[in-house]
Amino acid sequence: MFRHPRTAIAWGGALLAAAALAGAPAVAQDKYPSRPIELIVPFGPGGGADQLARLTAKLVEPVIGQGVPVINVPGATGATGMAKLIAAPADGYSAAIYIADTHALLAGPDPRWKVEDLKPLAVMIQQPSAILVAKDSPYKTWADFEKAAKDNPGKLKVATVGFGSVDDFTLKHLEVKGGVKVVQVPFSKPNERYVSILGGHADALYEQPGDVAQFLKSGEMRPILIFGDKRLDGFKDVPASAELGYTVSLPQFRSIVVRSDTPAAEIKTLSDALTKVAENPEYKKFLEDSYADPDSFMPADKSAGFLARQLDDMKKAATGS
Amino acid sequence: MDTLLQLGHGLLVCLQPFNLSMLMIGIALGMLVGVLPGLTLVMGVILVLPFTYQMDVASGIILLTAMYVAGTYGGAFTAILFGIPGEPIDVPLLWDGYKMARAGQPAEALGWTLIAAGGGGIISAIIMVALTEPLAEVALKFSSPEYFAVILFGLASVVALAQSSLANALISLCLGLVIATVGTDTTYGTSRFTFGLPILEDGIEFLVVMVGAYGVGEVLARLERGYAGAPVTQTATARTELPSWRQFAAIKWTFIRSTLLGNIIGIIPGAGATVASFVSYGVEGQVGRRKAQLGTGIPEGIVAPQSAATASVGGAMIPLFAIGIPGSGATAVILGAFMLKGIQPGPQVLLHSGELIYAIFASVFLGIFIMCVLGYFAIRPLVRILDFPEAVVSSFVMVFCFIGAFSIRSSVVDLWLMIAFGLVGYLFDRLRFPIAPLVLGVILGPLAEESFLNTMISFGNDWTVFFTRPISGTLMALTCLALVLPLLGALRHWLWPHDFEETPHSQGSP
Repeated sequence: MFRHPRTAIAWGGALLAAAALAGAPAVAQDKYPSRPIELIVPFGPGGGADQLARLTAKLVEPVIGQGVPVINVPGATGATGMAKLIAAPADGYSAAIYIADTHALLAGPDPRWKVEDLKPLAVMIQQPSAILVAKDSPYKTWADFEKAAKDNPGKLKVATVGFGSVDDFTLKHLEVKGGVKVVQVPFSKPNERYVSILGGHADALYEQPGDVAQFLKSGEMRPILIFGDKRLDGFKDVPASAELGYTVSLPQFRSIVVRSDTPAAEIKTLSDALTKVAENPEYKKFLEDSYADPDSFMPADKSAGFLARQLDDMKKAATGS
Repeated sequence: MDTLLQLGHGLLVCLQPFNLSMLMIGIALGMLVGVLPGLTLVMGVILVLPFTYQMDVASGIILLTAMYVAGTYGGAFTAILFGIPGEPIDVPLLWDGYKMARAGQPAEALGWTLIAAGGGGIISAIIMVALTEPLAEVALKFSSPEYFAVILFGLASVVALAQSSLANALISLCLGLVIATVGTDTTYGTSRFTFGLPILEDGIEFLVVMVGAYGVGEVLARLERGYAGAPVTQTATARTELPSWRQFAAIKWTFIRSTLLGNIIGIIPGAGATVASFVSYGVEGQVGRRKAQLGTGIPEGIVAPQSAATASVGGAMIPLFAIGIPGSGATAVILGAFMLKGIQPGPQVLLHSGELIYAIFASVFLGIFIMCVLGYFAIRPLVRILDFPEAVVSSFVMVFCFIGAFSIRSSVVDLWLMIAFGLVGYLFDRLRFPIAPLVLGVILGPLAEESFLNTMISFGNDWTVFFTRPISGTLMALTCLALVLPLLGALRHWLWPHDFEETPHSQGSP
């Protein structure tokens, strides 16, 4: 849908420049943060990353006593926004939302940045992914689907976001580990992806349940497999992948990162502030509404290890080991 | 009756001062976005989206919807008066609308677009309110093979209009398709024709080609004539602007056909206003009563694309409200605005938040009405611009082209590309080689490619699915007819030349 994200940047940039000129006078540097902290969303407005950024900004502003303007820099699965973060000074006044799909680029060929360039402040949300089918699908359970896929290898169609994505890696893992060989049909636009199973053009869909909450509530779609080691609240009879012996699970996580050479004191200030955000009831409600893991939040010290493990898992799944 | 009552209630919500001002702002912004060549409608709506975060749901959605409606209309002014399409949907307006304006009837041409946009929009809005639930199912019937067939039909039916030489039109189209493949392919991420240049990795934007070939090309052509084109003498004395009822009745079938086509194409998730505009123009060339004159500056050539484009708005809203699936790029952004407020459109919302939905429905009606009133009063002063010396107008056209091309991704390379395509457009024009198929190929090529590849992946490289699935099969058959009929006509012409002397083939069509 965002075929021309750069137009937004160009026009948005003009607005920002005007705003910057209006408020140029420098502020005396005393206690961090002494001026607003820019939060980069490497995707367009309206998506999951944007929603998280706007909510976090709203909740973190009173904690740090500074504004947190959100700017959207979409393009290249988040790579454009990351380039902007890395180009900004490492003074703790620029941060960015960093999500699993962008992280997956590091598992592909020629990534434009390294995992060492970034330091996470916190992992804000982890949504498990799932295999979903339409209401009237002949596959009542994962066992049905697995059997059909094994009887007809390479015949069942699963709609995903595209090749080289987390979706792609997970399907490869299913194939290598469990012998579930399906055809992956890439639909970059969410509306076409959802129509594909609602209209019966594909057999299943790889998606985060939170992104199709309205279809789950209305019963138009139902999950048959949740990736991870926990079953999903509200769908307790749907198996989790770990129970079936699948070791890799790649949740859709969304974190907030800064440049890795940002001073440690600044990183601690921000990470502590985000820990307070995570305790806010409004934030907890957001996690619940998004079908996210209630224990999603991880502060800075735990997040770095998490990102590294995720990348290892992605590489493992991508190479089929 | 109940529906009308709810709609009336919704109208009252729209007339609240804040909502009404949002509606006005939305229309003004939509018109502006429609006029600016570098800013597409979808991008414009995305830019405004963050401003809706602070508003309540109804006001925000009213703002975005008004922008969407007006954006399908605003570009008609620049396309018809100056030959620069502000949006890809306005390209078909160049073929008849711009010609009509150059023939001394700019006010009439704009009057026709006003009637087409207003009428098409209103009828499509009525369909939206009355038939939301049954029609939403149409969206689910379409998948990649059908998207591809619709787009191919659009390509073929427009190309087939080039009766002077089908071969030249196909050459031009293929050139356009090749230009569209430059860059990183969307399915597998392979670099194509990039020659290692980073700017080409991102592809050649269709806007650069469109603005260059039409805007710059046209200015170059006028420069060659020393800005001595026939002055548009009647502008100052132009009295009639809107077509009379009799004139309208004469083309009512064009209007009805195009509106319904636009509505249906709007419902399909893989195609929006642009495809609607092209397909509708192409269909007019296949079945219209005066199809032989299409492209020479007749009202049918204005009404067909414009009413389909505006009618696609009502269509695209149908699956959004009924099943939560947006029917176009702009409605996908509107869905985002709903989600940010924690509302996920779908059957539940339609059932329980009827008040909100009907307020939005009412805003579509009110928006179209206000847009038409604004458009009506804008026609006369805008037509007066043509009284300025051609050289002055041309220089402003150039400025707009440059701003437009630069704003796409803030790259100077795009300016050079635009100038290059301007030269291409000029040379094509001089050599009487059709440029429209090239631009059409650049705009629709990527859409066609993605749905073609998806079909191949999905059906194990079996190309026969295009012909065996009922909807795509029908469309493919129509595509074949569109391409073969002109050949048969040419063959008959060649064998029995005398039968055809009284109906000369038009040279002006795309």
